[in-house]
Amino acid sequence: MSLDLAIRLAQTLLALALLQQSLEHLCGPRDERALFGARAVLCGLVVAGLAAPWPLVGLAGLSLLILQRFQGPYNGGSDRMGLLALWCLTAATLAPSIHLKELFFGYLGAQLVLSYFISGGVKIVNPDWRSGRALGDVFRFSAYPVSEALRGWADRPRVLLAMSWAVMGFELAFPLAMLWRPGLVAALAVAATFHLANACLFGLNRFFWTWVATYPALLWLQARVF
Amino acid sequence: MRNPFGLLLPALIPSWNFFDVIAPSPRVEYAVSDSPAGEPDWRAFGPRPERVSPLAMLGRLFWNPRWNQTLFVVSCAERLADQFTDHSQDEIFRRIGADLGPEMSGRWLRFRLIFVRREGEAIVAEELYVSDARRIGDPR
Repeated sequence: MSLDLAIRLAQTLLALALLQQSLEHLCGPRDERALFGARAVLCGLVVAGLAAPWPLVGLAGLSLLILQRFQGPYNGGSDRMGLLALWCLTAATLAPSIHLKELFFGYLGAQLVLSYFISGGVKIVNPDWRSGRALGDVFRFSAYPVSEALRGWADRPRVLLAMSWAVMGFELAFPLAMLWRPGLVAALAVAATFHLANACLFGLNRFFWTWVATYPALLWLQARVF
Repeated sequence: MRNPFGLLLPALIPSWNFFDVIAPSPRVEYAVSDSPAGEPDWRAFGPRPERVSPLAMLGRLFWNPRWNQTLFVVSCAERLADQFTDHSQDEIFRRIGADLGPEMSGRWLRFRLIFVRREGEAIVAEELYVSDARRIGDPR
Protein backbone atom coordinates (compact mmCIF):
# COMPACT_ATOMS: atom_id res chain seq x y z
CA MET A 1 0.00 0.00 0.00
CA SER A 2 1.52 3.36 -1.03
CA LEU A 3 1.90 6.16 1.50
CA ASP A 4 -0.61 8.39 -0.30
CA LEU A 5 -3.19 5.62 -0.56
CA ALA A 6 -2.77 4.65 3.11
CA ILE A 7 -3.12 8.29 4.24
CA ARG A 8 -6.20 8.76 2.07
CA LEU A 9 -7.77 5.55 3.38
CA ALA A 10 -7.08 6.53 7.00
CA GLN A 11 -8.49 10.03 6.38
CA THR A 12 -11.69 8.58 4.93
CA LEU A 13 -12.18 6.02 7.73
CA LEU A 14 -11.48 8.64 10.41
CA ALA A 15 -13.87 11.12 8.80
CA LEU A 16 -16.58 8.44 8.78
CA ALA A 17 -15.87 7.65 12.46
CA LEU A 18 -16.06 11.37 13.38
CA LEU A 19 -19.21 11.76 11.27
CA GLN A 20 -20.89 8.93 13.22
CA GLN A 21 -19.99 10.65 16.52
CA SER A 22 -21.10 14.04 15.22
CA LEU A 23 -24.53 12.73 14.21
CA GLU A 24 -24.99 11.40 17.76
CA HIS A 25 -24.29 14.88 19.15
CA LEU A 26 -26.89 16.48 16.88
CA CYS A 27 -29.58 15.34 19.32
CA GLY A 28 -27.71 17.03 22.21
CA PRO A 29 -27.77 20.60 23.59
CA ARG A 30 -27.88 23.55 21.16
CA ASP A 31 -24.22 24.61 21.46
CA GLU A 32 -23.17 21.01 20.77
CA ARG A 33 -25.38 20.89 17.68
CA ALA A 34 -23.55 23.91 16.20
CA LEU A 35 -20.09 22.47 16.85
CA PHE A 36 -20.90 18.98 15.64
CA GLY A 37 -23.03 20.14 12.72
CA ALA A 38 -19.95 21.98 11.44
CA ARG A 39 -17.84 18.89 12.10
CA ALA A 40 -20.28 16.67 10.17
CA VAL A 41 -20.01 18.98 7.14
CA LEU A 42 -16.20 18.95 7.29
CA CYS A 43 -16.22 15.13 7.59
CA GLY A 44 -18.40 14.93 4.48
CA LEU A 45 -15.91 17.09 2.57
CA VAL A 46 -13.00 14.89 3.69
CA VAL A 47 -14.83 11.72 2.59
CA ALA A 48 -15.68 13.32 -0.77
CA GLY A 49 -12.10 14.52 -1.17
CA LEU A 50 -13.25 18.10 -1.79
CA ALA A 51 -11.16 21.24 -1.07
CA ALA A 52 -8.32 19.12 0.39
CA PRO A 53 -6.51 19.64 2.71
CA TRP A 54 -8.62 22.42 4.27
CA PRO A 55 -11.51 20.36 5.65
CA LEU A 56 -8.95 18.24 7.51
CA VAL A 57 -7.26 21.39 8.84
CA GLY A 58 -10.72 22.65 9.82
CA LEU A 59 -11.41 19.41 11.72
CA ALA A 60 -8.13 19.77 13.62
CA GLY A 61 -8.97 23.39 14.53
CA LEU A 62 -12.51 22.42 15.52
CA SER A 63 -11.14 19.65 17.76
CA LEU A 64 -9.62 22.35 19.97
CA LEU A 65 -13.00 24.08 20.37
CA ILE A 66 -14.60 20.71 21.21
CA LEU A 67 -11.88 19.98 23.79
CA GLN A 68 -12.52 23.41 25.31
CA ARG A 69 -16.28 22.83 25.30
CA PHE A 70 -16.05 19.55 27.25
CA GLN A 71 -12.84 20.48 29.14
CA GLY A 72 -11.28 17.28 27.82
CA PRO A 73 -12.34 14.35 25.67
CA TYR A 74 -16.08 13.57 25.65
CA ASN A 75 -15.49 9.81 25.72
CA GLY A 76 -12.01 9.22 27.17
CA GLY A 77 -9.65 6.93 25.29
CA SER A 78 -11.59 6.66 22.05
CA ASP A 79 -11.70 10.44 21.63
CA ARG A 80 -8.01 10.66 22.50
CA MET A 81 -7.17 8.16 19.74
CA GLY A 82 -9.41 10.14 17.37
CA LEU A 83 -7.49 13.32 18.22
CA LEU A 84 -4.13 11.59 17.77
CA ALA A 85 -5.19 10.22 14.38
CA LEU A 86 -6.65 13.55 13.28
CA TRP A 87 -3.57 15.59 14.19
CA CYS A 88 -1.13 13.00 12.75
CA LEU A 89 -3.09 12.84 9.49
CA THR A 90 -3.31 16.63 9.29
CA ALA A 91 0.43 16.97 9.91
CA ALA A 92 1.22 14.21 7.37
CA THR A 93 -1.03 15.84 4.78
CA LEU A 94 0.48 19.30 5.24
CA ALA A 95 4.10 18.12 5.58
CA PRO A 96 6.30 19.63 2.86
CA SER A 97 8.54 16.57 2.38
CA ILE A 98 8.01 12.84 1.99
CA HIS A 99 10.21 12.16 5.03
CA LEU A 100 8.06 14.31 7.28
CA LYS A 101 4.89 12.72 5.89
CA GLU A 102 6.33 9.30 6.72
CA LEU A 103 7.36 10.48 10.16
CA PHE A 104 3.90 11.78 11.16
CA PHE A 105 2.02 8.85 9.63
CA GLY A 106 4.51 6.34 11.04
CA TYR A 107 4.06 7.90 14.50
CA LEU A 108 0.35 7.09 14.29
CA GLY A 109 1.13 3.48 13.35
CA ALA A 110 3.68 3.15 16.14
CA GLN A 111 1.21 4.54 18.70
CA LEU A 112 -1.34 1.97 17.56
CA VAL A 113 1.13 -0.83 18.36
CA LEU A 114 1.86 0.80 21.73
CA SER A 115 -1.86 1.16 22.47
CA TYR A 116 -2.12 -2.64 22.58
CA PHE A 117 1.31 -3.47 23.99
CA ILE A 118 1.27 -0.97 26.90
CA SER A 119 -2.34 -1.86 27.74
CA GLY A 120 -1.23 -5.47 28.09
CA GLY A 121 1.84 -4.50 30.10
CA VAL A 122 -0.01 -2.42 32.70
CA LYS A 123 -2.49 -5.26 33.19
CA ILE A 124 -0.06 -8.14 33.59
CA VAL A 125 1.87 -6.43 36.41
CA ASN A 126 -1.39 -6.19 38.38
CA PRO A 127 -2.14 -9.39 40.40
CA ASP A 128 -5.87 -8.68 40.17
CA TRP A 129 -5.66 -8.94 36.37
CA ARG A 130 -3.59 -12.13 36.55
CA SER A 131 -6.19 -13.74 38.83
CA GLY A 132 -9.17 -12.60 36.74
CA ARG A 133 -10.53 -10.49 39.62
CA ALA A 134 -9.99 -7.16 37.85
CA LEU A 135 -12.12 -8.22 34.88
CA GLY A 136 -14.66 -9.57 37.35
CA ASP A 137 -14.81 -6.12 38.96
CA VAL A 138 -15.35 -4.52 35.53
CA PHE A 139 -18.51 -6.61 35.22
CA ARG A 140 -19.47 -6.43 38.91
CA PHE A 141 -19.38 -2.69 39.65
CA SER A 142 -17.84 -0.60 36.87
CA ALA A 143 -20.01 1.83 34.89
CA TYR A 144 -19.52 -0.06 31.63
CA PRO A 145 -21.75 -3.19 31.33
CA VAL A 146 -24.72 -2.18 29.17
CA SER A 147 -27.26 -4.30 31.07
CA GLU A 148 -27.81 -5.64 34.58
CA ALA A 149 -27.78 -9.19 33.19
CA LEU A 150 -24.15 -8.71 32.07
CA ARG A 151 -23.14 -8.11 35.70
CA GLY A 152 -23.80 -11.82 36.21
CA TRP A 153 -20.59 -12.53 34.29
CA ALA A 154 -18.74 -11.42 37.44
CA ASP A 155 -19.69 -14.78 38.97
CA ARG A 156 -17.93 -16.87 36.30
CA PRO A 157 -14.34 -16.89 37.62
CA ARG A 158 -12.96 -19.49 35.19
CA VAL A 159 -14.34 -17.68 32.14
CA LEU A 160 -13.00 -14.36 33.47
CA LEU A 161 -9.57 -15.88 34.12
CA ALA A 162 -9.42 -17.24 30.56
CA MET A 163 -10.66 -13.93 29.12
CA SER A 164 -8.14 -11.92 31.16
CA TRP A 165 -5.19 -14.00 29.95
CA ALA A 166 -6.47 -14.02 26.37
CA VAL A 167 -6.65 -10.20 26.39
CA MET A 168 -3.26 -9.73 28.10
CA GLY A 169 -1.57 -12.34 25.90
CA PHE A 170 -2.95 -10.85 22.71
CA GLU A 171 -2.04 -7.28 23.68
CA LEU A 172 1.51 -8.19 24.72
CA ALA A 173 2.12 -10.34 21.62
CA PHE A 174 0.71 -7.75 19.22
CA PRO A 175 4.10 -6.19 18.23
CA LEU A 176 5.28 -9.63 16.99
CA ALA A 177 2.60 -9.43 14.31
CA MET A 178 4.63 -6.64 12.70
CA LEU A 179 7.19 -9.25 11.56
CA TRP A 180 4.91 -11.01 9.08
CA ARG A 181 2.27 -9.40 6.85
CA PRO A 182 -0.36 -12.19 7.04
CA GLY A 183 0.18 -12.31 10.79
CA LEU A 184 -0.50 -8.57 11.05
CA VAL A 185 -3.68 -8.85 8.99
CA ALA A 186 -4.86 -11.69 11.27
CA ALA A 187 -3.91 -9.71 14.41
CA LEU A 188 -5.84 -6.68 13.20
CA ALA A 189 -8.88 -8.89 12.52
CA VAL A 190 -8.65 -10.25 16.08
CA ALA A 191 -8.17 -6.72 17.45
CA ALA A 192 -11.21 -5.43 15.56
CA THR A 193 -13.24 -8.36 16.96
CA PHE A 194 -12.02 -7.40 20.46
CA HIS A 195 -13.20 -3.80 19.92
CA LEU A 196 -16.50 -5.12 18.56
CA ALA A 197 -16.98 -7.19 21.73
CA ASN A 198 -16.23 -4.10 23.87
CA ALA A 199 -18.74 -2.12 21.84
CA CYS A 200 -21.43 -4.76 22.39
CA LEU A 201 -20.78 -5.52 26.07
CA PHE A 202 -19.70 -2.07 27.31
CA GLY A 203 -21.29 0.27 24.76
CA LEU A 204 -17.88 1.54 23.61
CA ASN A 205 -18.87 1.95 19.96
CA ARG A 206 -16.49 4.87 19.41
CA PHE A 207 -13.48 2.67 20.17
CA PHE A 208 -14.36 0.28 17.35
CA TRP A 209 -14.64 2.91 14.60
CA THR A 210 -11.70 5.04 15.77
CA TRP A 211 -9.22 2.19 16.16
CA VAL A 212 -10.20 0.61 12.82
CA ALA A 213 -9.62 4.02 11.18
CA THR A 214 -5.95 3.90 12.20
CA TYR A 215 -5.26 0.40 10.81
CA PRO A 216 -4.06 1.70 7.39
CA ALA A 217 -1.22 3.50 9.21
CA LEU A 218 -0.03 0.21 10.69
CA LEU A 219 -0.38 -1.74 7.44
CA TRP A 220 1.69 0.93 5.70
CA LEU A 221 4.28 1.06 8.53
CA GLN A 222 4.75 -2.71 8.50
CA ALA A 223 5.46 -2.71 4.76
CA ARG A 224 7.77 0.31 5.10
CA VAL A 225 9.87 -1.08 7.96
CA PHE A 226 9.87 -4.85 7.40
CA MET B 1 -11.12 26.55 32.28
CA ARG B 2 -8.14 24.65 30.92
CA ASN B 3 -6.24 25.66 27.79
CA PRO B 4 -7.27 23.44 24.79
CA PHE B 5 -3.63 22.83 23.83
CA GLY B 6 -3.02 21.52 27.35
CA LEU B 7 -6.02 19.23 26.89
CA LEU B 8 -4.72 18.07 23.49
CA LEU B 9 -1.26 17.11 24.71
CA PRO B 10 -2.27 13.84 26.49
CA ALA B 11 -3.86 12.73 23.21
CA LEU B 12 -0.70 13.42 21.18
CA ILE B 13 1.56 11.71 23.74
CA PRO B 14 -0.79 9.04 25.11
CA SER B 15 -0.19 6.75 28.07
CA TRP B 16 -2.44 3.83 26.91
CA ASN B 17 -2.94 2.56 30.47
CA PHE B 18 -6.52 1.37 29.89
CA PHE B 19 -8.01 -0.44 32.90
CA ASP B 20 -4.62 -0.78 34.63
CA VAL B 21 -6.56 -0.71 37.90
CA ILE B 22 -10.32 -0.91 38.36
CA ALA B 23 -10.97 2.50 39.88
CA PRO B 24 -13.92 3.37 42.14
CA SER B 25 -16.95 3.69 39.90
CA PRO B 26 -19.41 6.59 40.29
CA ARG B 27 -23.18 6.31 40.37
CA VAL B 28 -25.02 9.56 39.76
CA GLU B 29 -28.31 9.94 41.61
CA TYR B 30 -30.70 12.87 41.47
CA ALA B 31 -33.65 14.19 43.44
CA VAL B 32 -36.34 16.63 42.34
CA SER B 33 -38.32 18.66 44.88
CA ASP B 34 -40.60 21.70 45.05
CA SER B 35 -38.26 23.66 47.30
CA PRO B 36 -34.49 23.84 47.78
CA ALA B 37 -34.82 22.35 51.26
CA GLY B 38 -37.15 19.52 50.18
CA GLU B 39 -36.44 16.01 51.43
CA PRO B 40 -34.52 14.23 48.63
CA ASP B 41 -35.99 11.11 47.03
CA TRP B 42 -32.85 9.85 45.27
CA ARG B 43 -33.16 8.08 41.92
CA ALA B 44 -30.47 6.64 39.64
CA PHE B 45 -29.56 8.71 36.59
CA GLY B 46 -29.40 6.64 33.41
CA PRO B 47 -30.18 3.24 34.95
CA ARG B 48 -29.13 0.37 32.70
CA PRO B 49 -31.83 -2.00 31.40
CA GLU B 50 -32.12 -5.55 32.71
CA ARG B 51 -31.22 -6.98 29.29
CA VAL B 52 -30.08 -5.76 25.89
CA SER B 53 -30.61 -8.05 22.90
CA PRO B 54 -27.64 -8.92 20.63
CA LEU B 55 -29.38 -7.10 17.78
CA ALA B 56 -29.71 -3.93 19.89
CA MET B 57 -26.03 -4.23 20.87
CA LEU B 58 -25.05 -4.31 17.20
CA GLY B 59 -27.38 -1.40 16.44
CA ARG B 60 -25.62 0.65 19.11
CA LEU B 61 -22.43 0.29 17.12
CA PHE B 62 -23.98 2.86 14.78
CA TRP B 63 -26.24 4.89 17.11
CA ASN B 64 -25.45 5.19 20.81
CA PRO B 65 -25.93 8.81 21.94
CA ARG B 66 -27.63 8.12 25.28
CA TRP B 67 -25.02 5.66 26.46
CA ASN B 68 -22.16 7.91 25.35
CA GLN B 69 -23.77 10.79 27.25
CA THR B 70 -24.01 8.53 30.31
CA LEU B 71 -20.27 7.80 30.00
CA PHE B 72 -19.58 11.54 29.74
CA VAL B 73 -21.59 12.14 32.93
CA VAL B 74 -19.51 9.39 34.58
CA SER B 75 -16.36 11.27 33.45
CA CYS B 76 -17.71 14.51 34.91
CA ALA B 77 -18.47 12.69 38.19
CA GLU B 78 -14.89 11.35 38.32
CA ARG B 79 -13.49 14.82 37.59
CA LEU B 80 -15.74 16.33 40.26
CA ALA B 81 -14.58 13.83 42.88
CA ASP B 82 -10.97 14.43 41.88
CA GLN B 83 -11.16 18.22 41.89
CA PHE B 84 -14.27 20.38 42.01
CA THR B 85 -14.96 22.42 38.86
CA ASP B 86 -18.06 24.42 37.98
CA HIS B 87 -17.87 22.92 34.49
CA SER B 88 -18.30 19.32 35.68
CA GLN B 89 -21.09 20.26 38.07
CA ASP B 90 -22.91 22.35 35.44
CA GLU B 91 -22.67 19.54 32.87
CA ILE B 92 -24.20 17.01 35.27
CA PHE B 93 -27.01 19.43 36.23
CA ARG B 94 -27.67 20.27 32.60
CA ARG B 95 -27.81 16.69 31.36
CA ILE B 96 -30.02 15.46 34.20
CA GLY B 97 -32.29 18.49 33.68
CA ALA B 98 -32.53 17.85 29.93
CA ASP B 99 -33.29 14.18 30.57
CA LEU B 100 -36.14 15.08 32.93
CA GLY B 101 -37.82 17.15 30.23
CA PRO B 102 -39.44 20.61 30.14
CA GLU B 103 -42.36 19.60 32.39
CA MET B 104 -39.97 19.63 35.38
CA SER B 105 -38.75 23.15 34.59
CA GLY B 106 -38.74 25.45 37.62
CA ARG B 107 -38.57 22.65 40.21
CA TRP B 108 -35.43 22.08 42.29
CA LEU B 109 -32.81 19.53 41.38
CA ARG B 110 -29.98 18.05 43.41
CA PHE B 111 -27.57 15.27 42.58
CA ARG B 112 -25.16 13.16 44.56
CA LEU B 113 -22.24 10.93 43.63
CA ILE B 114 -21.91 7.46 45.14
CA PHE B 115 -18.60 5.72 44.45
CA VAL B 116 -18.54 1.93 44.41
CA ARG B 117 -15.19 0.25 44.99
CA ARG B 118 -13.54 -2.95 46.12
CA GLU B 119 -12.19 -3.03 49.66
CA GLY B 120 -10.51 -6.40 50.18
CA GLU B 121 -13.18 -9.02 49.55
CA ALA B 122 -16.06 -6.57 49.97
CA ILE B 123 -17.69 -4.16 47.53
CA VAL B 124 -18.48 -0.89 49.29
CA ALA B 125 -20.39 2.23 48.27
CA GLU B 126 -19.61 5.68 49.63
CA GLU B 127 -21.30 9.03 49.10
CA LEU B 128 -18.58 11.48 48.08
CA TYR B 129 -20.48 14.52 46.87
CA VAL B 130 -23.90 16.11 47.26
CA SER B 131 -24.70 19.20 45.22
CA ASP B 132 -26.69 22.20 46.34
CA ALA B 133 -30.20 22.49 44.93
CA ARG B 134 -30.57 24.32 41.62
CA ARG B 135 -33.67 25.25 39.66
CA ILE B 136 -34.20 22.99 36.64
CA GLY B 137 -33.68 25.05 33.51
CA ASP B 138 -31.24 27.43 35.20
CA PRO B 139 -29.05 28.38 32.20
CA ARG B 140 -25.73 28.23 34.13
